[in-house]
Amino acid sequence: MTEPIVRFHNVTYSYPGTEEPALRDISLEIMQGEYVGIVGLNGAGKTTLGLCVNGVVPSMLSGTRTGEVVVGGLSVEDYPVREMAKIVGMVFDNPEFQMSQITCAEEVALGLENAGVDVETMEKSVSEALELVGLKGFEERSPLGLSGGQQQRLAIAAVLAMKPKLLIMDEPTSNLDPIGKQEVFGMATTLNQDYGMTVIVIEHEVEVLAQFADRIIVMDGGTVVANGSPDEIFGQVDLLEGLGLRVPEATALADILAKRGLWKGPKPTKTDEAIAAVTNLIGVKA
Amino acid sequence: MSKRNPKSTAPDTIDTDLAIKVEDAHYSYPAGNVVALSGVNLEVDKGELLGIIGQNGSGKTTLTKLLNRLLKPTSGNVYVNGMLTTPRTVQEMSAHIGYVFQNPNHQLFARTVKDELEFGPKNIGVEEADIAERVEDAIEFFGLQPYIEEHPYRVSFPIRKLVGIASVVTMRPSIIILDEPSTGQDHQTTRIINSLMRRLAEEGTTVICVSHDMPLLADVVDRVIVMRNTQIISDATPREVFADRELMLTTNLQAPQITEIALGTVTPLGGPIALTPAELADDLENRVKKGAQK
Amino acid sequence: MVHRIHPVTKMVWVLVYIVLAFTTQNIFILYGMALFAIGLALLAGVFRPLLKAAYLIVPVGSSLIALQVLAPAVERPWTPIAEIGFVTLYGDGLYYALVLLGRIISSMLLTLVMVMTTHPSDLFLAFSKLKVPYTFNFMLAMTLQLIPVFQREVGIVLSAQKSRGMKGSGFSAVLPSFVPVFVGAIERVQQLSVSLESRGFGSSGNKTSYRKVTSRTQDWVYGVVGAVAMLGLMVYSILQPRLWNLSDIVVFAPETVLVTFSVAVTLFSFVIVGALFLSLRKT
Repeated sequence: MTEPIVRFHNVTYSYPGTEEPALRDISLEIMQGEYVGIVGLNGAGKTTLGLCVNGVVPSMLSGTRTGEVVVGGLSVEDYPVREMAKIVGMVFDNPEFQMSQITCAEEVALGLENAGVDVETMEKSVSEALELVGLKGFEERSPLGLSGGQQQRLAIAAVLAMKPKLLIMDEPTSNLDPIGKQEVFGMATTLNQDYGMTVIVIEHEVEVLAQFADRIIVMDGGTVVANGSPDEIFGQVDLLEGLGLRVPEATALADILAKRGLWKGPKPTKTDEAIAAVTNLIGVKA
Repeated sequence: MSKRNPKSTAPDTIDTDLAIKVEDAHYSYPAGNVVALSGVNLEVDKGELLGIIGQNGSGKTTLTKLLNRLLKPTSGNVYVNGMLTTPRTVQEMSAHIGYVFQNPNHQLFARTVKDELEFGPKNIGVEEADIAERVEDAIEFFGLQPYIEEHPYRVSFPIRKLVGIASVVTMRPSIIILDEPSTGQDHQTTRIINSLMRRLAEEGTTVICVSHDMPLLADVVDRVIVMRNTQIISDATPREVFADRELMLTTNLQAPQITEIALGTVTPLGGPIALTPAELADDLENRVKKGAQK
Repeated sequence: MVHRIHPVTKMVWVLVYIVLAFTTQNIFILYGMALFAIGLALLAGVFRPLLKAAYLIVPVGSSLIALQVLAPAVERPWTPIAEIGFVTLYGDGLYYALVLLGRIISSMLLTLVMVMTTHPSDLFLAFSKLKVPYTFNFMLAMTLQLIPVFQREVGIVLSAQKSRGMKGSGFSAVLPSFVPVFVGAIERVQQLSVSLESRGFGSSGNKTSYRKVTSRTQDWVYGVVGAVAMLGLMVYSILQPRLWNLSDIVVFAPETVLVTFSVAVTLFSFVIVGALFLSLRKT
């Protein structure tokens, strides 16, 4: 049996100075190579969960954390964040707020510089990372002059340069226009499918997650409420809508019809599945 | 101070029922002569609920800034409630057309939410008694009662978004522009904002919503303006816009999933271009029942 | 050619210039240095942008001259040369005013030329090689980047408040503008800190640098020549005290002083009136 790449065991965490815990007794496992989507309302604890994986919680943000978080075989609390940064990369929701350097190349190299990597290896890693995210040729440009989608891809490159095993993206497209969203989601899929990277995406775009994720985790009020395949999870329409969350419209459609006794079989989450199922339902021959 | 352009032959006011009339507007940013709008024409009736979509750089933000006089057209005319914007100031126009910025943090600065709501009407010279009444109304409309004495930055972000909108509503403009009201919000907050926009329109306010959230546009607005490359390339109902495959492709936009499903199944058979799961479900139910009757 | 000189050499030159400028009182040396800096600017092709920055010299220079003629910063007794009403003009101050101006001009011009011919990233690389602490260097670089960002943010906030009817750009406009930008800055810092931390920033231990500049022999030569020249001039001047402060040799005729004074006062008045005019026009 292979070891999960991320394992949470009874993790409870409260931010400093707060009474209500942000995470309550969380236990879950994520296997290498999975594409996991995390959904939940704002304040459900999704970001906090992500920050526990790379150790920023609790080492940088203090507060009290109980339970165990093991990532890549390492118990997170035993290692400084800079060590975890070699295994876990994290990208956040505001592309511009992640930029700090004068040129794109330096932005990508920042993590490597801090890890004391030699110049030759750095140059190679930087160039590979930029090419991977489709920003080859942008080395000397200023990060602040890029579009939102480009900046977010640069942030991903900056993280990829460290060659992590795991990439966490916290609402990476919430500040992007549709083109930017496509670029970033495309990136996540490429990294997962072509490079076997474990990808954890915290998002509200359920249709996209339904399309690409292997697993969906639903969080509410600091706990994991559901954990399973997109079909399993999004099929529980009442549960999710009761929590104030959206399900893919395809699934909502099937649910309404099922409640009227008109839908048999599984509820689709993807567009093409839905079209096929509906076509079948109304008995139209192609 | 207003400055009048002596060369302009456009009338200062026109007699019209239209809330907004844009005549052949062009705009170029002075730095680097970047063209942002070329030849835009638009008419908006009072009480309409209008959506504007387009990628970043299509000109949609520039167009809305022309409407509230943050910018003035380099050529062409913009009339708001019959008044030409060019010789007037933003402050003058703010009593007629309100602009809710995407990030509420760009607006909020006062010590309490209540002060924030009073800021706008105070600026435009509304009477004390009227201000109090408007603030009361807004508090009720937006459900802000528990927060009135709170510091705007102490409340959660979704509430802050509501405060941002409310602080413009207290100015009672007859037209309100909302810039990306749902971007970055979770579903719950988006639903609240959507229903607020509908209620404002019901009460007679003309609501213009700039967004790239397709389900929002499907659910809320009656009319969609699609912009690309500094021009308006489509002006139609949401259904017509979503059904136009070529339009969606060239503008890199995607119709809501449910509409895609409808377009791939019932629409070619004469069914609706569904905008919500409920709508498509109803149509399918009819079809199945009719089919069963045969 | 100037562009390709090693940034550390350039920083050494800046330091050398500043030290020499602020220790000597020899106006020939000072203005010679200024001319040398201008020469470098021409060589590097940055003369035009340099001129723009040099606008500052007018108000500074004219006010220095005017003030020094009215109240010299040298030992009394002063030599009165004219009286206008109850104000007395003295001749001794002009030399000293030129010294002060020369110091500012020479160090400012050279620093500007050096900065204009260096890529910002290389500049910060030079700082780190000169043992400037990593965090300080980083903060400086960030501040540079953030200036246009904050200009943009202030613009957005002002637009938002104007759209709520806020009039006037006086003090009443400051609060509604300041708080949102401040909050934005805090949010940015928070997320940036977490992002940096997540990439292992700020850890102790050996750090390497992606940016590299090769040092050539010429760079060493330039650096050494500059340092030696400065020391040489300093030593020479100390050994020859008369070269240090030429105020007894270079004596200005009263008419020269009067004319210079009038020009200075006129220029200075123009600057003040112009500034007032511009600020009033905006409201």
